Amino acid sequence: MQLLSYSFAILWAMSFALYYLVPKKMQQYVLLVSSVLFYVIGLRGFPVSLLLTGAATYGCGIYLERQLAKEKDGLKQFADKEQKKAYKGMCQRKRKRVQAVYIVFNLGLLIFYKYAVIALPLAESLFGPQAGFLGKVVMPLGISFYTLTAISYVIDVGREHYAAEKNFLVVVLFLAYFPSVTQGPFCRFEQMKEQFVKEHVFRYDRMLRGIQRFVWGAFKKLVIADRLGIFVDRVYGVEAASVSGSVFACATAFYMLQLYADFSGYIDMAAGVSETFDISLPDNFKRPYFSRSVAEFWRRWHITLGTWFKDYVMFSFVMSGIGRKIGKVCKNKWNGMGRQAAPIIGTMLVWLFTGMWHGRTLGYMLWGVYYGVIMSVSLLLESRYAGWKEQFHIKDGRAWGFFRMARTWCIVFLADVLIRSESLAQAGAIYSSFLTRLHIRGLFSSELTSYGLGKYDFLLLFVVLLIWLAVSLLEERGEDVRTYLAAKPILIRWICYYGIVLLVLVTGIYGGGYDTAAFMYQSF
Amino acid sequence: MEEKILQILEEHCIEALDYDGDSMMEDGIIDSFTVINVVSDLEDEFDIEIDAKYVVAENFKNKEAIVALVQRLLDE
Repeated sequence: MQLLSYSFAILWAMSFALYYLVPKKMQQYVLLVSSVLFYVIGLRGFPVSLLLTGAATYGCGIYLERQLAKEKDGLKQFADKEQKKAYKGMCQRKRKRVQAVYIVFNLGLLIFYKYAVIALPLAESLFGPQAGFLGKVVMPLGISFYTLTAISYVIDVGREHYAAEKNFLVVVLFLAYFPSVTQGPFCRFEQMKEQFVKEHVFRYDRMLRGIQRFVWGAFKKLVIADRLGIFVDRVYGVEAASVSGSVFACATAFYMLQLYADFSGYIDMAAGVSETFDISLPDNFKRPYFSRSVAEFWRRWHITLGTWFKDYVMFSFVMSGIGRKIGKVCKNKWNGMGRQAAPIIGTMLVWLFTGMWHGRTLGYMLWGVYYGVIMSVSLLLESRYAGWKEQFHIKDGRAWGFFRMARTWCIVFLADVLIRSESLAQAGAIYSSFLTRLHIRGLFSSELTSYGLGKYDFLLLFVVLLIWLAVSLLEERGEDVRTYLAAKPILIRWICYYGIVLLVLVTGIYGGGYDTAAFMYQSF
Repeated sequence: MEEKILQILEEHCIEALDYDGDSMMEDGIIDSFTVINVVSDLEDEFDIEIDAKYVVAENFKNKEAIVALVQRLLDE
């Protein structure tokens, strides 16, 4: 089920009405039923995999909490510090074994569903036609999102960041919460539980703010992302040799914006829906294209995924037994550079997993490795930047800031060719077209309008991108745009509100029967 | 002890010394690589082990929080 569909509008309206009509203590169950319905209608089946993950997550959380309580009791019998340390170590190893089994089980499910289709030829060659069922495996809606969400809960309980949840249904709601189950953002249990169990009172202004954010998301998705997508699909869909480098460059730049508008549009819609239920979702984007380095870009893009990998892969690895050993050996051997060995291995692991999480192709893995290498090299050279800046008489200022921003765009641009191309061969041909047949004039000829977008579309894109830029600049200044607009005279306010609604209705890209295109991140 | 911690912070992230907010990680004052290097130096200096469970925004929200974390681990 798409967030932009009649069935979702009906589900949202009914859930919303029930949510504020039922006794306050029952509100979380309205969300649970809505989430299951969203899932059942979206999948046209029962959420077996989700419930399996939910049961394992709930059980593992309870087990870890009991073990931690036992450990605390057991510690009382020892007075000696060394004995206490040994006992703690023993208990910790036992807990970590159970956690490891849990993680392998859940990641196993994710890998099975994600890679079943591409493993089919190999499985058929090994096991014959019996392996044919792999071709029929359908990836459960949102599995990439709820699996990582579930793992974060179990690790956090093990790290004693919060107590395990005693109500199984709350754990299922946490994993299946319908505004965020298909594309995130990744939520943390302590933030969500508090909001799920709180008693919520209807407020008209909050409902309006939620709807405003939803419409703004729909604007980004339907007017910007889906329009840019027409051009990108056409250009990337033709034989690479027949398109000039400048048109590929334009299509790739459009793809950068399409991906951002599509995903952040979804997040706005999800957050808007959630806001009407008085539940805040964490921020997932902070205007990433204003970043002055790749590291900053990834702190502003898909923030909750980045934080997940930092907390549960990077820190877990660097502070694990093996991470510490690598760190110590390299530090003793090479001192300055050597001390970065463990963080660099951690970074490469994070980016390899990030690539694999996003897609099943080699292009995605290379995309991950590419970012891992860039991050690692920047880390190694960090201490030299100040010296180089001095040597070349570079002063901090607007020009330098803009140069750094443009450099970040270029790095992201080159990476996006890898994930948008149908194959590595196509990506290679596109890179080659940038170098060998750029033909800048192609951008000012009729060639540009032969890929699905007419002059009117380009003009419209120019205007709507300017609107988006203006909103982003306001946000970058720390303004909350909805509050900013609410303080304006009624005429300006209404022109803005109805202008955006009109743009969505009149210029949005709708398919047959007013079906919108699927969200891009849904397939990750 | 506090002086030594501040020296380590000065070496890796001088901005942390003047920071008077309470979300150093979210505000981009200290990034994950710096956190790792600070943790490594704190471990060597005070002969403690800082587990991944302590590496959370709350314990690195400002220099006072880092001092409190080390103190807590030394007391354990």
